[in-house]
Amino acid sequence: MKKTFRVLELHCPACVMRVESIEDELPGVTRVNASYQKQLMQVEFDEKRVTVEQIVLAAKQKGYQAIPL
Amino acid sequence: MSEVLVAFLTGLTTGGLSCLAVQGGLLASSLAQQIEQDVAMQPRPKGAPKIGLRSGLRPRPQIAGPILLFLGAKLVAYTLLGLLLGLLGSMITLTAPLRAALLILIGIFMVGNALRMFNIHPIFRYFSIAPPTFLRRYIRRTANREATWFSPLFLGALTVLIPCGVTQAMMAVAIGTGDALQGAAILFAFTLGASPVFFLVAYLTTQIGARLEAVFMRLVAAVVLILGLVSVDSGLALVGMPSASGMLRQSGSAGQVVDVPVTPQSGTLILNATNSGYSPTLLHAPAGEQLTLNVVTLDTYSCARAFVIPSLAVEQLLPSTGQVAIIIPAQEPGTVMRFTCSMGMYTGQIVFDL
Repeated sequence: MKKTFRVLELHCPACVMRVESIEDELPGVTRVNASYQKQLMQVEFDEKRVTVEQIVLAAKQKGYQAIPL
Repeated sequence: MSEVLVAFLTGLTTGGLSCLAVQGGLLASSLAQQIEQDVAMQPRPKGAPKIGLRSGLRPRPQIAGPILLFLGAKLVAYTLLGLLLGLLGSMITLTAPLRAALLILIGIFMVGNALRMFNIHPIFRYFSIAPPTFLRRYIRRTANREATWFSPLFLGALTVLIPCGVTQAMMAVAIGTGDALQGAAILFAFTLGASPVFFLVAYLTTQIGARLEAVFMRLVAAVVLILGLVSVDSGLALVGMPSASGMLRQSGSAGQVVDVPVTPQSGTLILNATNSGYSPTLLHAPAGEQLTLNVVTLDTYSCARAFVIPSLAVEQLLPSTGQVAIIIPAQEPGTVMRFTCSMGMYTGQIVFDL
């Protein structure tokens, strides 16, 4: 499944790399592509293993508010 | 040796901020791993304020080491680039129009970045250069496996791909030397000179409070904006267009003796190229006859030595002390002929109205 989130407070490429590291840390997430320019994050994940809420929580733990679109 | 000193001083005064504006994205990416690690080590109670790079509660990461690694890798990469440019110097000719185009493009890029820092409009976010997705993933995964020094070293070396405006000018000087060791020495000196300001601004940005950071970033943005406008202005001067700096310099010297008519017997104009530019900046000459422009230097080590008359396609590297005669063909009455240094910093004009 592919889901797009608006991510507030992506201030620079370092923020982009931080939210993208969810890909390595949250089981079930296969790919995260974030854009500083668009302030968006596109997540590919296995909905049987991880939920949208868990992704939002993972982003929050990194200090970013992710809003599912 | 003097050119190396000038390169160092240029780096020390303008290089740091100018480079940070262009390469800040790569630096920020290289610090992400360290910040991530520092944040992970900080215990955070449930419901505590979030920790973002610009949020109220900040992790105050230990980034001095990674920034130094980044700058060290950058220094090595640019020294090698200088070596190559010096080596290629005899084969490559960076013409004035090409340099002008580079200066204008880099200037626009810097102005765009300054407006991004001012947060004027989201469109200016596109002026931030960051590694592409595949490279970010590679860096992140390698950095996870390796120590945290990997990404600062790797991305510091990558800065060689995005030189700032002032660096571009220094690269042109390195090419101009036509010697590998001299080219390497010039870019080494410039990058070394740019490092303290680069380090300080990058370090302070993460150590000061969020409110102070906002003020600090606006200050940096203002300086970058000015440097960007100067770069565009220099590019325009280099293709013979009227530049703001030239006009300011001429209006500033209005009280001095600036009208130097041609010596009727010899048909010769005298122009001094000094360490602070050309003197006089405005010369008057007769139209309709061929003239000789004698450009005189005396212990001149500034870029005024690289003398350019865009309309005549004249590009002449003057000796540090000496005199070079340039033949100027007959001009139409009222012609304004602009001259400049190779960086577009020092300008002047000859008006054919006698």
